[in-house]
Amino acid sequence: MELKINDKIQNVDIEENMPLLWVLRDELNMTGTKYGCGVSSCGSCTVLLDGVATRTCTLPVIAAKGKEIITIEGISVEGEMSEIQQAWIEHQVPQCGYCQSGMIVAAEALLNEIPNPTDEDINTRITNICRCGTYNRIRAAIHTAAKMRTEKQKLLG
Amino acid sequence: MGKWTRRAFIGTGGLAGVGLVVGIGGNMYLNKVAKQYSGKGMGDGNSMNAWIRISPDNKITIAVPRSEMGQGVYTSVPMLVAEELEVDMKSINIIQPQPEPAYANTLLVNPNPRDIYSSLTFMEKIAHFLPLVATGGSTTITDGFDHLRAAGASARVMLIIEAAKRWNVQEEDCYAENSHIINRKTKEEFTYGELAESAGKIELAEIPKLKDKKDWKILGKNVQRLDIPEKVNGKAEFGLDVRIEGMLYGAIRHATYHDGIVLSVRNQVEIEKMPGVKNVLVLPKGVGVVVVANNTWRAKNAMLALDLEESGDNTLSSKKINAHAEDVIANNIIATPLDKGNATDVLDKTGNIIEGKYDVPYLAHACMEPINCTVLVKDGKAEIWAGHQGSSIMLDGVNAATGIDRDNIIVNMKYLGGGFGRRGEIDMILHAGFVAKEMEGTPIQIVYTREEAMRHEMYRPFVKSHFRAAINVDGEIEAWENKIALQSVGYSSIMRIKPSLASSPSEDSSTTEGAANLPYTMAAAKVAFGQMDLPIQVGNWRSVGSSQNAFFTESFMDELANAAGQDAYIFRKSKLQHKPRFLKVLEKAAEISNWRTPLPEGKFRGMAIHESFRSIVCQVVEITKVGEKKFSVDKYYNVIDCGQVVNPDTVEAQMQSGIMYGLSAALYGQITFKNGEVEQYNFPQYEVVRMNVAPNVQNHIMDNDEFPGGVGEPSTPPAAPALANAIFSATGERIRSLPLMKHGYSFV
Repeated sequence: MELKINDKIQNVDIEENMPLLWVLRDELNMTGTKYGCGVSSCGSCTVLLDGVATRTCTLPVIAAKGKEIITIEGISVEGEMSEIQQAWIEHQVPQCGYCQSGMIVAAEALLNEIPNPTDEDINTRITNICRCGTYNRIRAAIHTAAKMRTEKQKLLG
Repeated sequence: MGKWTRRAFIGTGGLAGVGLVVGIGGNMYLNKVAKQYSGKGMGDGNSMNAWIRISPDNKITIAVPRSEMGQGVYTSVPMLVAEELEVDMKSINIIQPQPEPAYANTLLVNPNPRDIYSSLTFMEKIAHFLPLVATGGSTTITDGFDHLRAAGASARVMLIIEAAKRWNVQEEDCYAENSHIINRKTKEEFTYGELAESAGKIELAEIPKLKDKKDWKILGKNVQRLDIPEKVNGKAEFGLDVRIEGMLYGAIRHATYHDGIVLSVRNQVEIEKMPGVKNVLVLPKGVGVVVVANNTWRAKNAMLALDLEESGDNTLSSKKINAHAEDVIANNIIATPLDKGNATDVLDKTGNIIEGKYDVPYLAHACMEPINCTVLVKDGKAEIWAGHQGSSIMLDGVNAATGIDRDNIIVNMKYLGGGFGRRGEIDMILHAGFVAKEMEGTPIQIVYTREEAMRHEMYRPFVKSHFRAAINVDGEIEAWENKIALQSVGYSSIMRIKPSLASSPSEDSSTTEGAANLPYTMAAAKVAFGQMDLPIQVGNWRSVGSSQNAFFTESFMDELANAAGQDAYIFRKSKLQHKPRFLKVLEKAAEISNWRTPLPEGKFRGMAIHESFRSIVCQVVEITKVGEKKFSVDKYYNVIDCGQVVNPDTVEAQMQSGIMYGLSAALYGQITFKNGEVEQYNFPQYEVVRMNVAPNVQNHIMDNDEFPGGVGEPSTPPAAPALANAIFSATGERIRSLPLMKHGYSFV
């Protein structure tokens, strides 16, 4: 099966019903995407599927065929961190860090859709679990990243 | 992590007479104790001591023998060394050393931080002998504050002595700055790298004087964490991310019942034929079965398809556990850690007493990263990869499971996707070691699915606490009695990790930590506990005994304040007059939360103060009523006195973290038993705080010169009682049993 992951074509020979998460982690050794619950509850396994934040631990790999898959490893482009990653560092968000791949990917999807989200937007859209409880800083970092993106747009536009 | 008590080690024989190298003074500490390390894995260059290696091209490597689980030790430990070594935090590399005596965490066994200027205590010698190299109990900074700074300072002085010798000048004519020794007069410079080889051989007569706090350049400042950049791009490697050529994945299925065993696998042949399956192994003593396959998902599918013949008690239930606890409180008290005045007599004779019967449920740690461990056994040697709270426990586990000599085992510490006490356990190491030995030559990664991880945990115990108290007309506490029933965490965990060192549950001080050491003025007080006898494993859960005892005690204090007709703050304040540090924290919390100013309609607040892990935290929580039994938790004001501060930003992060952890338990957390099985098995049944519920945290750190206390746990204990007190203020309903969810409350 052919998959397009982070702008690269990958060929995998696996069961069509294997969740995308395990294809990434165990077949392709792309371990940035995490296993947390296996029931699409915690969001640690989130990737962008045609730009939509998608939980991959219950998503059969066949459903990702022909789609654009972006994982945490593909969020930085040519070594340059995204605004969200920069804001994550500025606010010193991660603690143990295990959920943060999923959080960052979910935040990318949120800002792609809502460039200046309100707190309520963040509450509704960021439903991932962080057991270290970094929520205050995630919220602040999303607002900072939104500002950085807007300013960049102005410069470009 | 609970204390490994002195009593635990006496009577074990053998250990008392061990020939340890004992420091008898500063010079002995630096030249003997601190040199009990091999330098294995520390890279090129020359070691100055166990923590510092300097390469000829002036690269500074600092060994961090503690586990990074989000609490920031991969930054705070180097900060302590770098401050005295005079190196820039940006110029250092860090490595995780092998578990060796120099790196022992003595605070896990000793009541006080080690005194590097005098000889080791008996228990400190034991910690070095074992060695016990572990992270827990909020100990890293308290344990390391002096010896890590001394490691940096002594290396600096050794480098200065060498430079002075080469320039033929006095040591006073040289100073250290940014990894260089500089000649004051000529302005000539040596890099540390140029001096390190000879300097590393110098033996100092005494520990150099450590810097005054006012001269700190790194400590006490917000320093960006060294581990964060690789935690935002997916590159940080957790235990579950270990990938080794030829590695197979083993999914574990535990025996269903907590006292049960697996007798046989009825469908072994069919399982072995499933896609990708390589092996099916029953674990020693039948504690479970591991299905090994070439992919985690295939291993999991085969594990789920297992048909097991099992033994075990299928009648254990939360109802039975509750009745057992009642019986233990009434009939089976085994220890009375606090008995001052004749509290029971006073209460029996007083007509007007206040009573409160409290309980809290078992709790899962629910670390984000499911439990796992990777081991390779090959050619009589072994290697282990895991995110774990004890590098020495990793070593112990592989040694026990494989019989391979400790010198032939390499420990690779990875990042921990949450620890919270769960990753100080040995189960995952024993299981991986067993399978790796059975499948010699193949690296084996044991994985617990979320369901297996949650249903077969070492839980925070179910605990009951029965109070009686009497107050006089002025609101003074004349008598206070608290009888507790639980399973001893210290006993349960040491029976798993080092059974030869176990003592009796009655010796476990963690059972009444935060209950028997109250700061409040009381004329008479009695705190006693009894041990519940159950097959359920209990373990260290972030803040251990304080996790329940703060809820009991600080809720009951509110009941007394209410009975006295006094404000909760004033009531507490009047009983802390002889505890100046508590008083300052309490007053600061009242100040920043505007406690004396009434809140707008529909908003309510509650307060709690608690000391744990050598730090004092006071919290005020504000909530808004948004419907019938429906609230939003708006804000926690958090004040901490943790003495001198290493990295203030990390303290703030830990305060936020501890509150969310405690709040999750207060709102939703419960592990219950029915027909011998745990009823909750994943996040939908074991809900935790998410973004939409998470309160804002406003933190204040007290500024003083006290010795540093811990910060990883102390904000967890007050979170639940502060909230329960706010709920009482809003509804008049006194919550004496957690979680709030089961009383019909919901939160937005």
